[in-house]
Amino acid sequence: MQHIDRFAYANRLTRLHPAYKVGCSALALVLCLGVPHPAAGLSVLAAMLMLAIAWAGLPSAFVLKLALGEASFLALGVLGVAVSVSTSASAMPNVRMGPLWFSVSPDTLWTASVLFARALGGAAAMNFLALTTPVVAIVDLLRALRVPALLIDLMTLIYRFTFTLFDSFGRMTLAHEVRLGFRDGRRSLRSAADIGANLFVEAFRRSRRLDLALQGRGWDGALRVLPHAYDHPRWLNRGAR
Amino acid sequence: MTLGFSDVHFSYPALSVPALTGATLRFAAGEAVALVGRNGSGKSTLMLLANGILRPGQGAVTLDGQAVRYDRRGLLDLRSQVGVVFQNPEEQLFSASVYQDLSLGPLNLGFSSVEARERVLHAAGRCDLLNLLDRPTHALSGGEKARAALAGVLAMGPRFLFADELTNSLDPWMRANVLEIFADLLADGCTVVLATHDHALAASWAQRAVWLDAGRVRADGPADVVLTALRQQLPPAFSHRRQTADARPPAAVSAGLNEVPL
Repeated sequence: MQHIDRFAYANRLTRLHPAYKVGCSALALVLCLGVPHPAAGLSVLAAMLMLAIAWAGLPSAFVLKLALGEASFLALGVLGVAVSVSTSASAMPNVRMGPLWFSVSPDTLWTASVLFARALGGAAAMNFLALTTPVVAIVDLLRALRVPALLIDLMTLIYRFTFTLFDSFGRMTLAHEVRLGFRDGRRSLRSAADIGANLFVEAFRRSRRLDLALQGRGWDGALRVLPHAYDHPRWLNRGAR
Repeated sequence: MTLGFSDVHFSYPALSVPALTGATLRFAAGEAVALVGRNGSGKSTLMLLANGILRPGQGAVTLDGQAVRYDRRGLLDLRSQVGVVFQNPEEQLFSASVYQDLSLGPLNLGFSSVEARERVLHAAGRCDLLNLLDRPTHALSGGEKARAALAGVLAMGPRFLFADELTNSLDPWMRANVLEIFADLLADGCTVVLATHDHALAASWAQRAVWLDAGRVRADGPADVVLTALRQQLPPAFSHRRQTADARPPAAVSAGLNEVPL
C-alpha cells in the first residue's frame, strides 16, 4: 500500500486532473464488463499497462509484478469455474483422482477465460488509477461531484489514520521485538494480541486528540478544505485557444 | 489586545484533584512567555481553556476585558484570535495533503476560497513549507510536521499563539527555525506562549515566565527571576550535575573529542 501511495505522488500524471484518469479507468472497466470476450479484457490489460508505464512513467518491473500477482490470484480463482468435479465419469475428457472425476468442457473453459480476462483487465484499470492518482485528488473529484461530505470526511480520515496506525504498529512491534516478544510461538501470539489491543486504545486516544486539535481550528463537523489546482492535457489547452 | 484568566478553576470530570486552581493571568500583545512547571501542573489545561476547548468551572477567560462567550459565534471569534499548537504535531494533521490541512482553519473562519488560499500561502511561506504543500502529511519528517501544525494555526491569523511543548522533540536546527517563526510573530505584535521543560530555552527566549505548580500559578514575572526560583526547586542530583556541566571549561570538553574530518 505504501508503494502504491508513493508512486501515486511521484509519476508524470500526478498533477493531471483526476477526472481524466478516472474517466480512462471507467471506460476500461465498461469495456471489460460490456464485451463478453477474453480479447476485450486482455486488450484493456495491455492498454492500461502501456499507459501506466509509457504515459505515467511508472517503473515497468513494479507494474508488471503487480499485474502478475493479480493474474496468479485470479488464475487460482477461475480454476473452480473451468474444472468440473463429479463422482462419476462424464462424456468430456476427464481425469480420475480417487473417487472424484475432474473434467473440462469448452463451455467452462470459455467462461473461465472470459472471467479471467475481464477481472484482470478491470484490475489493471484500477491499478492505473491507484498508481497515478493520489487519494487527495480522488477526494477533490468526489467533492466536485457533490458526494456527501460525511463520506468524503470519513474517506480522508481513514486514509490519514491508516498511515498513522501503520507507524504506531511498527513502533509497537519493534518495542516487543527488542524485549524478545517474538521468541517463540506462544510469546508471538501474546505479543500480537497485546499489539492489537494497544493499537485499538492508541487509535481511540489519537482520535480524541485530533478532535481537540480540530476544535481548536474552528471545526464544526465538516472538514472544509481548498481543492488543489490540476493540469489539463496539452491537446485540450490547444483546442481551447 | 489582552487575554485574561480571572480566578479560573477547572477540574476534569474523572479526576478528584483539580487541574487548575484560581489561575489569574493576563497576556498582553507582543509578549514572549514561557509556561513552565512539572508534568501535570496544568500547562496544557491552561492552553485548552485559552482556546475555548475547555470551559472554566469557576472564574472567566476574557478577551480584551470581555468574558468569552461559549456559543458558536463566540468560540469562532475566540479561535480566530487564540491559536493552540499541541504537543504532538502528528495528531493535529488530519488531511492527506499539507495544502488542504492548512486551509481548514481559514475556511472554518468563513474566509472565501481566494482569501483562504492567500492565508495558506502566507502561513506556508512563514513556516518554510511552500515546497511541501503538495506533499502528503504522512510523508513529512518530524520537524516538517511540527511546522505544518504551526502553519495550520498561523493560517487563522491568531493574535495569541499557545505552543504546547512544540520544540521538545525537535533537533537544534529545527528548533532554531521554529524560534525564528516565533520572533517574526512577536515582531508583528502576536503574543507567543510556549510551554516547555527546557529551562535554558525559556531563559534565553522568553521575557516573562509563568510557573505552574499543581494547578496553581506559583510565580509570574521576568523569565530570569522565575526560572532561578524554579531551579532552586529541582531535585539536588539534577542541580549538581547541571552545575558540574556548566563549570567545565569548553577547552577541556573539546580536548576530549576526536574530530572526524567531513
